[in-house]
Amino acid sequence: MIASGLTDFVGDALDLQVQIDAIGLGAVIALMAVGIGLVFGVMRLVNFAYGQLIMAGAFALAYASDRDWPVGVGIALCFAVVLLLSLAMERVVFRPLRGQSAAVMLIATFAVAFLLQSIALLWFGPLGKTATSLVRLNRPVEIGGADIRKITIVTIVTAAICLVLLVALLNRTSIGLHMRAAAIDSQTARLLGVRANLVSTVSVLIAGALAAVVAVMLTVQFPTVTPTFALQETILVLAGVVVGGMTRLLSATLGGFFIGYVSGLLGGALPSAQSQYLPSLVFGLVILVLLIRPDGLFTRGRGLVERV
Amino acid sequence: MAYGGVAAVRGVSFSVPPGEVVGLIGPNGAGKSTTLHAIVGLVATREGDVRLGDRSLCGRSPEAIARAGVALVPEGRRLFAELTVDENLRLGLAARGSKNGVEEDIAAVIELFPIVDEFRNRHAGALSGGQQQQLAIARALVAKPSILLLDEPSLGLAPTIVDLVFSTLRVIAERGIGVLLVEQRAQRTVALADRTHVLANGELRLTLTPDDAADTDRMVAAYLS
Amino acid sequence: MRTRRAAVELLGPALLVVAAGIVGALVSQTNQIYFITALISVATVVAIYVFVGNSGVLSFGHISFFAVGVWAAGVLSVPEAEKPATMPYLFDFLSSTTVGNVPSLLIAAAVGGVFAFLVGLPLMRLSGLAAGIATFAVLGITNNILRYYEKIGPGLNTFSSVPETTDLVQATVGAMLVIFAAFAYQRSRLGRQLRAAREDPAAARAVGVSIYRQRLMSFALSGFLAGFAGGLYIHFIPINIDAVYLDLTFITLAMLVIGGTTSLWGAVVGALFVSGLDSVLAEMEDGMTLLGRTIDLPSGSRIVVVSAVMALVLIVRPSGLTGGRELSLPKLRTAVAK
Repeated sequence: MIASGLTDFVGDALDLQVQIDAIGLGAVIALMAVGIGLVFGVMRLVNFAYGQLIMAGAFALAYASDRDWPVGVGIALCFAVVLLLSLAMERVVFRPLRGQSAAVMLIATFAVAFLLQSIALLWFGPLGKTATSLVRLNRPVEIGGADIRKITIVTIVTAAICLVLLVALLNRTSIGLHMRAAAIDSQTARLLGVRANLVSTVSVLIAGALAAVVAVMLTVQFPTVTPTFALQETILVLAGVVVGGMTRLLSATLGGFFIGYVSGLLGGALPSAQSQYLPSLVFGLVILVLLIRPDGLFTRGRGLVERV
Repeated sequence: MAYGGVAAVRGVSFSVPPGEVVGLIGPNGAGKSTTLHAIVGLVATREGDVRLGDRSLCGRSPEAIARAGVALVPEGRRLFAELTVDENLRLGLAARGSKNGVEEDIAAVIELFPIVDEFRNRHAGALSGGQQQQLAIARALVAKPSILLLDEPSLGLAPTIVDLVFSTLRVIAERGIGVLLVEQRAQRTVALADRTHVLANGELRLTLTPDDAADTDRMVAAYLS
Repeated sequence: MRTRRAAVELLGPALLVVAAGIVGALVSQTNQIYFITALISVATVVAIYVFVGNSGVLSFGHISFFAVGVWAAGVLSVPEAEKPATMPYLFDFLSSTTVGNVPSLLIAAAVGGVFAFLVGLPLMRLSGLAAGIATFAVLGITNNILRYYEKIGPGLNTFSSVPETTDLVQATVGAMLVIFAAFAYQRSRLGRQLRAAREDPAAARAVGVSIYRQRLMSFALSGFLAGFAGGLYIHFIPINIDAVYLDLTFITLAMLVIGGTTSLWGAVVGALFVSGLDSVLAEMEDGMTLLGRTIDLPSGSRIVVVSAVMALVLIVRPSGLTGGRELSLPKLRTAVAK
């Protein structure tokens, strides 16, 4: 019985649709991982409230959709809201906490996450709003005998483009060089004249832009926006960044993609009775990685984790 | 300046005119590094001032001080090992006042330190100690600073390389830059610098000139008093 | 002098709790609920403090021990006849056993302690950010399992029919017991060793303190106390699985941070202050008359205010309302001949 269960699973897993959906989820989580990894690299701060930025963007889209504004305006509003909120977070919370222990920063962003979520709950109620402008992208297109939703393809392509642009920014511009240097050794970078505040702000803005992109893509698949929008994905991202390796942007992104992809695969291929415990598997993997290979699975090593 | 309530350096006062090499020597823990850190804004000064020309640098952030024309070559070089030599060099440009003349200045620096060009696209971590020290100085120079501070550049270097570095410092000073050299190697420093101050226990003890380099009694007295 | 200081250190929190209990007895029946909740919060936050305050290591996972205590006490207290209504799939030994009030609390504490010990065995080697994330993962796993594993509890159903035995007296006594335990621990050699390790790990190790072992013991004790608090809670009010997950984790951490993470006094002050604030806000949400004017806050404002206060405290005064110090009497100035 186990053998037949296993072959069923493998069969389902290799199904083209499941594969593409899993890659799509992986792409979304990878983008979020870049957002988190970028800010972590430069400010040594894990932004627990990143999911709430996405939620805010999604609510902006819903707001625009409610008033029947054109799609472009809705997306512009989404970006504006997310970027402003990111800047506010950086100024009010991140900068004053610079230099505090990682644990204090974690709790502080946890508080901010709850603050934003509860404000949303107050404003929009637990049932939320719907964002229907781009819903037509949620319709499937037939490729290779499988029904693949257009949005999944758009997601994968958009994620790839964003990553390419980011790599170009980091490697070919001076601000990108400054950001990379600040992530390695911020004190020496400052001694050379790198402006710490500017680098932080740029990182936060880029992370915010990515959050806005993710908000747009997620609302297509999940048009109902509630205060807990993107909470599941945020937990996956945090897991992915830890599993991949927080200290390097590349390993964090790979980790995010890996967790997203595996979750998508298991979610799609496992019968629902067993996929209930998927979160435990993901969390268990996080603990395992932290204990055995704390620098992450996709790195070669410098330690960030202190152990006794 | 004070570390956690204990004053590390008291009553130190000196100046570094452009075109001159000023040395700062003293035993370990004398406060040499602290003085440098105070100048570049890494440590707060309780009393006293740091001036560049007629401008006070006191209380400003490290990057503002760097942009004002103060370049530090830190202890241990502090290069970015995973970035290339070229990228390390270009990081030095962050403190530059004007964006003009970058390529000429880089060429001038390469003239002083040819290895920079040789290893341009290698990772900085692949260089030897002496080469890294040269890169660190080059990196500081491309910022076109008014004053160059060096924190124990001879640490861990072979004597021939130390000679090379020290003689290059004289050339740098001749180009109009003030050089403050903090060192443990007393004799070489005293011989090179126009003027060398001796720091012990956080206080300025005396000032030596190159003539004193040969006078071992005077040197020993300076350290042990 | 030292015993007097110790006495104040204990009596401060203890008397505050007793005062809360007394005031609670004097108010109306409906308002008593706020006081009982506040006292159970004290027990919970002090339990968390026993580990987080003494070790300096952040834990997001303590509500899992609380939840496990809730489950243990609840499942074993529901009268046998009523179990199948909300918990039809229980293991046989669980569905056929029913215990009284006090035994259920003891079992809740024991289960919490054992669970914490087992979790701590691998996790206590971690510090800082890694510990925070790992304990968060434990919270996630516990929540996931309790939510879906219907053989050990009600799963997604509401935990009802538990005898409501936690009244004002029990809540006060319970909070006092937890405070005594925390006090005894932090004054003991074990507690002192852990605090030393928190201040200066290298020095502590140099004198032979095993940081791992001290943390593990503190973690287990803290889980024991949290399980006990969970037992008190389920005997007070019916809950479902979402009530012992992120929201509760957040609010108990907020209480500890706002009060002052590193002291018992801070834990108690924080819990009572935030509970008080929360209760007042809850009243305002229902419509309250204050100084002749009616205040009617929209529902859900409470968490907004609490989280804003918490963020503010972290930015402006990270050591909390009490500065992270224990309660002490002002020193009498005596003339000293120089």
